[in-house]
Amino acid sequence: MLITPDVEAMAAGPEEPGPGRSWLRGILAPKVLTGLVIVGVFTAMAVFGPMLDHADPGAITSARLQPPSLHHLLGTTQQGQDVLTQLIYGARVSMEVGFAAGILTTLWSLLVGLTGGYLSGASSELLSMFANVFLVLPGLPLVVIMAAYLPHSGSAGIIIVITVTGWAWGARVLRAQTLSLRRRDFVEAARATGQGPVKIMLYDILPNEVAIITVTFLGSVVSAILTEASIAFLGLSDVTQWSWGTMLYWAQVSGAELARAWWWFVPPGLCIALVGTGLAFINFGIDDVINPRLRSAGSTPRRRRSRALAGSLARLARPPVRRAAKGPEAARGPGIAGGPGGTAGGTVLELKNLRVEYRGGAAPVRAVNDVSLTLRRGEILGIAGESGSGKSTLARAVTRLLRPPAQIVSGEMTYTARDGRQIDIAGLSDRELRQFRWEEVSIVFQSAMNALNPVLTLGTQIDDVLRAHRPGMRKVQRAARVRDLLHMVGISPDRAGAYPHELSGGMRQRAMIAMGLALDPEIVVMDEPTTALDVVIQRQVIETISGLKDTLGFSVIFITHDLSLLIELCDTIAIMYAGRIVELATAGQLYQRPLHPYSQGLLGSFPTLTGPRRTLSGVPGYPPDMRRLPAGCSFQPRCPRALAACAGTPPQLIRPQIPDPASVACLLYDTDYQDHPEGLTTGGGRA
Amino acid sequence: MRVMLRRLSFYAVTAWAAITLNFILPRLMPGNPAQDLINRSAGKLSPAAIKAIQVLFGQPHTSLISQYLTYWRNVVTFNFGVSYSFYPTPVIQVIRQSIFWTVVLIGLCTIIGFVLGTLLGMFVGWRRGSWRDALVPVTTFLSSLPYFWFALIAILVFAVSLRWFPSSGGYGIGLQIGLNWPFISSAIYYGTLPALTIVIASVGGWLLGMRNMMITTLNEDYVLLAEAKGLSRLRVMFTYAGRNAVLPSVAGFAMSLGFVVGGAIVTEIVFNYPGIGTVLFQAAEGQDYPLLEAIFLTITMAVLIANLLADLAYIALDPRTRES
Amino acid sequence: MPDQRGTGPARQQGWRADADPVLAAVDVTKHFPVHGKDAGRLGSRRVVHALDGASIGVYQGRVTALVGESGSGKSTLARVLAGLYRRTSGEVLLRGQPVRAAHGRAFRRHAGEVQLILQDPYGSFNPMLRVSTHLRRAVRVHEPGRKGDSLQARTRELLEQVHLRPAGQFLQKYPHELSGGQLQRVSIARALAARPSVLLADEPVSNLDVSIRLGVLNLLAELTRDGAGLLYVTHDVASARYFAADTAVMYAGQVIESGPSERVTSEPAHPYTRLLIASAPDPARRAAAEGTAVADRGQPPSLISPPAGCRFHPRCPFAMPECRTQPPPRIELGGGHWSRCWLFADGRHADGRHRESPRKEP
Repeated sequence: MLITPDVEAMAAGPEEPGPGRSWLRGILAPKVLTGLVIVGVFTAMAVFGPMLDHADPGAITSARLQPPSLHHLLGTTQQGQDVLTQLIYGARVSMEVGFAAGILTTLWSLLVGLTGGYLSGASSELLSMFANVFLVLPGLPLVVIMAAYLPHSGSAGIIIVITVTGWAWGARVLRAQTLSLRRRDFVEAARATGQGPVKIMLYDILPNEVAIITVTFLGSVVSAILTEASIAFLGLSDVTQWSWGTMLYWAQVSGAELARAWWWFVPPGLCIALVGTGLAFINFGIDDVINPRLRSAGSTPRRRRSRALAGSLARLARPPVRRAAKGPEAARGPGIAGGPGGTAGGTVLELKNLRVEYRGGAAPVRAVNDVSLTLRRGEILGIAGESGSGKSTLARAVTRLLRPPAQIVSGEMTYTARDGRQIDIAGLSDRELRQFRWEEVSIVFQSAMNALNPVLTLGTQIDDVLRAHRPGMRKVQRAARVRDLLHMVGISPDRAGAYPHELSGGMRQRAMIAMGLALDPEIVVMDEPTTALDVVIQRQVIETISGLKDTLGFSVIFITHDLSLLIELCDTIAIMYAGRIVELATAGQLYQRPLHPYSQGLLGSFPTLTGPRRTLSGVPGYPPDMRRLPAGCSFQPRCPRALAACAGTPPQLIRPQIPDPASVACLLYDTDYQDHPEGLTTGGGRA
Repeated sequence: MRVMLRRLSFYAVTAWAAITLNFILPRLMPGNPAQDLINRSAGKLSPAAIKAIQVLFGQPHTSLISQYLTYWRNVVTFNFGVSYSFYPTPVIQVIRQSIFWTVVLIGLCTIIGFVLGTLLGMFVGWRRGSWRDALVPVTTFLSSLPYFWFALIAILVFAVSLRWFPSSGGYGIGLQIGLNWPFISSAIYYGTLPALTIVIASVGGWLLGMRNMMITTLNEDYVLLAEAKGLSRLRVMFTYAGRNAVLPSVAGFAMSLGFVVGGAIVTEIVFNYPGIGTVLFQAAEGQDYPLLEAIFLTITMAVLIANLLADLAYIALDPRTRES
Repeated sequence: MPDQRGTGPARQQGWRADADPVLAAVDVTKHFPVHGKDAGRLGSRRVVHALDGASIGVYQGRVTALVGESGSGKSTLARVLAGLYRRTSGEVLLRGQPVRAAHGRAFRRHAGEVQLILQDPYGSFNPMLRVSTHLRRAVRVHEPGRKGDSLQARTRELLEQVHLRPAGQFLQKYPHELSGGQLQRVSIARALAARPSVLLADEPVSNLDVSIRLGVLNLLAELTRDGAGLLYVTHDVASARYFAADTAVMYAGQVIESGPSERVTSEPAHPYTRLLIASAPDPARRAAAEGTAVADRGQPPSLISPPAGCRFHPRCPFAMPECRTQPPPRIELGGGHWSRCWLFADGRHADGRHRESPRKEP
C-alpha cells in the first residue's frame, strides 16, 4: 500500500538518470556495445561490400573446392565460386530480407496490438484470438507451404511470407503492453483532466512502448533472417539469388559436409548466428532498462561475502560464554543506549553500532548508521520511521537477509539464548545460520500475499519449517503441529490445505504469524505486518499478536511507519530518521514527552479521534535524499529548532535526564549546548 | 475444469482455422496448382486421384461452399489423395510411415531440451554473478544458430571426421522394422546425432528464459522468507524459486514449440532422417501439394496436442488456475 | 501549511443544511461485469455490486469526507462523480443539472468543473514526460488558446499555487526526480489547471510519508477556502475528523452514515461506524488505558452476491430479524446526521445508541 521507494533502488546509481539518460547508460553497457558493433559490421558489409568486391558471386571457375588461400580467402565452392564474394553478396540479401520483414512484421504487430489493446469488447477479443491462433500454428511448415506455392520467388515473396507468418508474437506482446498501460494511473489521470484518446495514445501509450517495440523489432529481424535461411536452405526461394541461406543450400546439395569442405558452409552459418547474437545482445540491454531486476547488481557471491564479513567483524567468544552464575538480573547488560529497563526480563538481542551500506552507486548509501539497541525478553520493541529511514533494512540485517548491494559493514549483533548462551549473529556460517534462523528469530513480512509461495499450500509451507528443523518429527506429529498453529492464530485448522490465493488478506497475515511461531522462536521480527490491511482487520491481527505474546513470551521487534499504532502496542519505541535512531523511550514517555524535534513533529502529524481538534502542521520540508545527506544532524534542514552547531556535528544518542532512561540524539539536550535551555522544557508534551 | 474447457475450445478454433487455411491458401495463390499438378502428372493419375486433388485445390464449376464441405469430408476421413512424389502411395500412408520417427525423435528431444535448459537456467539464475554468467553469451550464440547448420557441423565432425555416428538415415540397411533389438539399437545409434543437434540447439532458448525468470523470482518475498525459515538451499532453489520461475516457461511452451518443431524438421532433412521433415522437403521439391497440405495439418495437430499437454502441466503446477 | 491559524481547518466551516451541493450523486448504482474464473456460466451475467444506491453531495468551499475500507466503493463513487465511469443507474448533478458526459466535448466540459486527484503520485505521472509537459497538457485541454509565454506563465502560477517554489526548478524535472509529497502537489496543480469548482481527492495522502501528509491536506484545505468544493476519499477516520466538515461512511457499496464529522466520530450511530472507529489506532486510548478489544467479526461481504437486508448484518452484534430481510432506510438523527440502521427506526434511537457492547469476546 505505502510506497517505500527502497533504498536499494536509490543506491542503484549515484545520479538517478532521467529516461533519456538511462537509455544512454543502456547503450553503453558492454553487451549492448558488442551487439551494436557486430550488427554495424554486418550492415556495413551488406551496404558497402558489393561496391568493393566487383566479382560475380555466381561466376564458375575451374578452381573447385579450394580450401582458403591467399587467392580465395575463404576458399571456393564446387563450382569454383569464391566463398567470400558469395558471403558479401549474401549479406546484402539476408540483411535486406531480415530488416524489411522485421519492419513490416513490427508495423503489422503494432497495428493489431495497439488497436486490439485500445479497443475494448468483442473486436478486441477477436483480434487477440486471431493472434493466438497464428501463434500456435507451427510457423515453418506454414512458411514451407506458402513458399511452395510461390516457387522460386525473389526476396519480395519471402518477405511477404515471413510477415504473414511472423506477426502474431509481436502483436500479442504489444497488445498486453497496451492493455497494461491503459490501466495505469497516469492514463486515468490524463483522462480525468479531460484529455482526448488520440492525445493519450500519442503522449502516454506510445512513448512508454518504445522499448518493447524495439525489442519486438529486433526479435523479428532475427527470426526473419533465420526463416529466410531455412526457406533458402530448403531450396524454396530463388536459389540463384545469393544469400547465406542459398549458400548453405548449395553446400548441402553438393555434399560439402561429406567432402569436408568446411570453409564452404561454416562462414554463412556463423554470420547468421553472429547477427542473431548481436541483435540479441542489444535486446538484453533494452531488457535491462525495462526490467531493472535483471541488471546484475550482485557481483559478489554471497558465500564469499559472508565469510569476509565474519572475518571483519569483532568475533565473540565461541564456544558460548555461560553467564549462568549471574542469573538473568545481571545479564541485563549495560545496553549502550541504556534502554529503558524494568518492563521485562533479560536482554535477548543486543545491537552495537550496527552499520549497513548499499554499495551499488559511486558513494555508499548508509541505510543503517551506527544503530545500537537492546531487546529484552518478552518485550515489544517498536521501530518507527518513514520510507528510507532504514527501519526495514535494520530488520533484514538482524535476520541476515540483506542481499547485495546491501551489506553489514560494521557493528555487533549478539543474541542471548534462554540458557545464557551468546551467539554472534553476524559471524554465523551458512550452516549455523540455517539452524539459527526461525529457531531463534523468525520474521513476518508486510505483504503476506507476496511472502507466501503461491504454489504451495499453507500447510506445506509451515510443514517445511518443521521438516528442516525437526527432522525427528513424524509426519503425523508435524500435521498436528500445523493444525495447532493455525488454530492458535484463529484460522480453522482445515484450511491447512488451502493455497494462499484462497485466503483473505487478514487470514494470510495470520497464517504468516502462525508460521513465524512454528518453532517457538525467542524473537519475532515484524516488518510492517499490518500496513496492507484495513483498520478493522489490522486491529484483529494486532490483538492476536499481543495475545500470543502474552501466552508464549516471545519478544517482538515491530516495525511500522504508524507511530500511533506503536504507542498503543509497544513497550519501547525507537524513532529512526535517515538511518539513525534519534530517540529511544518507553511508549508512554514518547507519547507524553517526545524529546527529539522529529519525534514531536511525527506525533503531531497524527490527527486524533478524541480531544479538541487543533491545527496540526506535520513536519516542514521533505524526507532527505539518502544519497546526499546533509552534514551534521540529518534532520537539521527540516528542524524548526535547529542550532547553528547542528549543521556541524552528527549528534550522539544521550540520556539527558538520568535516571530517566529515555535517550535522544539531539544537540538541544547536550550539556555542551545548554545555553539553549528551552530545549529541555518545551518538549511538545501533550498531557 | 472451466479453464480446461476454455483452452479446449480455443484449440478447436485453432484446428478449424488451420484446416480452413489449408483450404483457402491454394485458392488464393496465383495460377491453378491443381491443374498444374494434373497436367504435370500427364495421365499417370487415376480419375479418383484427380478427384481428390480437385477437392483439395479447387474444382471448376462448383460453388465454394460445396467445395468446402467436400474438403471437410475428406479431411475427416483422412482422404488426402495420392502423393505425387511417392506415386502411387496414398498421402495418408506416406505420413503414417514417417510420423512415428518424427514423434519419437522430436518429441523426445523437445522434452529433453526443455528439461535440461530449464534446469541449467535455474542453476545459472540461482547464483548470479558467478562464472555461470559466462554461459549467457554462449547460449545466446547457440540459440541464434540455424539448426540445420548445426547439423551440418555435427555431421562434419562426428560422422565424417571422427566416424562415431552414421551421417544419414534412421536405421541400418536391411534391418526389419519392428520391436527387435537389432533394429532398436540401430535406431538409437542413428538417432543420437540428430537428437544431440536438436537438444543442443534448443537448450539455449529455454536456459535464457529460465535464467531471467529465476532472477526475477529470487527477488520475491517468498524466496527471502524461505531463506529466513532456514530451509535447505536445495529446497529453496527448487520448491520456492524454481517452481515459480518455471511457470512462464511452461505457459510460453506453445509459442516456442512451433519454432523448435520447425528447426527440428529441417534438421531431419540434413540427416536424411526418415521422418516427416524429410518427406516435407521432398514434397516441397516435387511440388507435391497434397502431401504438403496433409503434412501441415498433421504437424499442426501434433503441436496442438503438445500444447494441450503443456496446458495440463501448467494447471497441475499452478493452483491459481484451478478452481477451489 | 505554516500559515494555518486557529482551531483546525475543519472548524472554520459551519454546517449549512440549506445550501445546495455543487456536485451530487443521487442514488447511484454501479455494477461491474465479472471476468475470469468467477464469471459463472455463459448467459448468467454476474456482476460486482460496487455501488448500490449511493448518494453524496459536495458543497462549495467545504470539505466532505468519504470514509470506507478497501472495496467499500468509495473510489468508484469518486470516479462516477468525475465522469470516468458510466453509472448503471442514478444521477450525477452538477449545480442541480443532470450530467450526461460520457465522451468528447461534454466530458471535457464536465472535467473543466470536476477534477480528480489520484492516490499514488508516482503512478499518476507518465514517467517519460517532464513536469512542465504534464502541466502544459492539462492547461491546453481547457484553455486551447493559451500558447507560448502565457502558457509558461500559467504553469508557473499553478506550481506556486501549490507552494512549489521556485517553480522553474520543478518544471524541468521528471516525475521520478521528485519526492512523493512534491509530486502529489504537482498532481494537485495539474487538477487546478482546469480551474475546477470541485476537487475529488481519492486517498490523496495515503501513499505519502506520515510527516508530509498534513502539509498536503492543509494545502487542499487552503484551496477550498478559495471556493472549490472538495470530496476527500479516505480510509482514515481520524484525518476525516481533522480535515472535513462532513463525513460520510461507506460499507459494501452503500453510504450507511453521514453527518458533521465531529458528530459522526464522537457519537457514531451505525454499528459499522463504531467498529471502524474502535479499530483505528489512537495513542490517546493508551493514555486513557481503555481496554478496547474489538472482537473478530469476520470481513466485508462478497459484492457479487451481497447479503440481503442490511449488508452489515452478518457481522453486526445488534442484528435483529428485520436486518436480515429489509434494507434499512435513511433515518434522520438531527443536526444533519443520519444513518441507515434499523436500530434507530421508530424511536428505538436511544436504545440503540446507548446500548453498550453486548459483544461476546471469543
